[in-house]
Amino acid sequence: MAKIVVLGAGISGHTAVSYLRKDLSSEHEVVVVSPNSNYQWVPSNIWVGIGRMKAEQCTFPLAPLYKKKNINYIQAKVTTFHPEGDSEINKGFVKAEYVVGDKKGEVVKVDYDYLINATGPKLNFAATEGLKPGTFGTTSVCTYDHAQHAWKDLKVQIDRMKKGEHVKILIGTGHSKSTCQGAAFEYIMNVEQELNRHGVRDKATVTWISNEYEVGDFGMDGLTIKMGSKLMPSKDLIEMVFADRGINVIKRAGVHKIEEGKAHYETLDGEHHVEEFDLAMLIPAFSGHGFKAYDKAGQDITEKLFRGFMVVDADYTPRPYEEWTVQDWPETYQNPSYKNIFAPGIAFAPPHAISKPRTSKNGTPISPTPPRTGMPSGISAKLVADNIVHMIKNNTQEIHHLGSMGNMGAACIASTGFGMLDGRGVTITTNPIVPDYVKYPETGRINSKTIGDLGLAGHWVKLALHYAFLYKAKMKPFWWLIPE
Amino acid sequence: MAQKITKFQKTWIMRNPIVQFFKFIWLNYKILSVVAMGHGGTREKQL
Repeated sequence: MAKIVVLGAGISGHTAVSYLRKDLSSEHEVVVVSPNSNYQWVPSNIWVGIGRMKAEQCTFPLAPLYKKKNINYIQAKVTTFHPEGDSEINKGFVKAEYVVGDKKGEVVKVDYDYLINATGPKLNFAATEGLKPGTFGTTSVCTYDHAQHAWKDLKVQIDRMKKGEHVKILIGTGHSKSTCQGAAFEYIMNVEQELNRHGVRDKATVTWISNEYEVGDFGMDGLTIKMGSKLMPSKDLIEMVFADRGINVIKRAGVHKIEEGKAHYETLDGEHHVEEFDLAMLIPAFSGHGFKAYDKAGQDITEKLFRGFMVVDADYTPRPYEEWTVQDWPETYQNPSYKNIFAPGIAFAPPHAISKPRTSKNGTPISPTPPRTGMPSGISAKLVADNIVHMIKNNTQEIHHLGSMGNMGAACIASTGFGMLDGRGVTITTNPIVPDYVKYPETGRINSKTIGDLGLAGHWVKLALHYAFLYKAKMKPFWWLIPE
Repeated sequence: MAQKITKFQKTWIMRNPIVQFFKFIWLNYKILSVVAMGHGGTREKQL
């Protein structure tokens, strides 16, 4: 009998839990430790943020589902890792602090045979001075709760515009090293469409601000996309979309300070500027959670497990951009020091960025960090679950399932406007996610699998995925037939 | 200078539900072919 503990119940953690429970008999124990009471389908938060979807449509409570599926659920936040155990417990464990109920504040030791760290990122708003959702006119769509507030704030601005006032809206990245440009891109496009729907578009200046060197970088060093029979850089595609919708662009910008209605930023040429706004949605920097780890004797061994995020089978040797290879990227998401610990999704420490790192004349790094959200999170979680199941069933330490982001496809389905008949979308697929210029010298990716499309169908696809993935997350009949 | 989306493309292709219905099927096929057709490692196996 094995005990598998999964930390986190987001896209990555919940995917791993689902497959572990499906593929392991009931004699094996599956435990989830998460401070969150709800599962949320994060990609739909942008629609909550424009008031076209309720938060309840993107979320469901975890406790009833886990009870029904014989999964132990501890609503607690992890504080420390003890991979060797201690004087009382002769196996690895984590300490977790209950966040609700009678036991709130109580710390419990959760021991394990296998541990999956799927704690995702910490939304590090504090890394940008003054950036905090709900203050100084800024909002966020990173969680469903934030998105609900974003819609309230947007509605206030729409009402002002209806009274004839002019409003400045600023959307993009809120830190020089932010990632997840895709979510900000979707939000700005949806906001722009909603302004049209409310008949106030002419009363708003809508501006995109980003740490990307060129728009369409998306933290993946840009893509060369097959559009019909032509190859088109993602920069041209996104510039075309922004121009079509009358959206201003500020690029190569690292936002470092927010004051009431003002975003202070530095550009790559070393200049400092201020952009004024009435409403801003700025994606914060992502960081690790600052977990500590201790060995059996209580000595600090944090560096064995973490370098911000969790250390896995990546090649972390520092190299210049020109020497980066796809082989640097992890394949198994297994910690090299403790083979029973894995970190899929955003929780693993990437070996380096994907986009070319750039530094301003003042020495400030201004470039996106690598995205691991969405499909890569789900795929890496499933392969980790598959490997653990294989290890348990065959009583082996061998790893069979591999999935490097340098040999993995992904689809970015960006809704650029909500509506069954007047909706819009930008669909981009890429394979691989991390460009491999040795295998595919022309563009770094497989041209026939790196495609783009504009139109209503993209919105339908995103909406279909919303329902499909929530169905899958609720583990309804045959859920496993839906791929990650 | 950014390329422009023409009025013809917008009206008769991007917002045309009939054209987009077939695009929807094609996109789903493309996404499945990219995502569900497997993934793997990038390093040579050590013997």
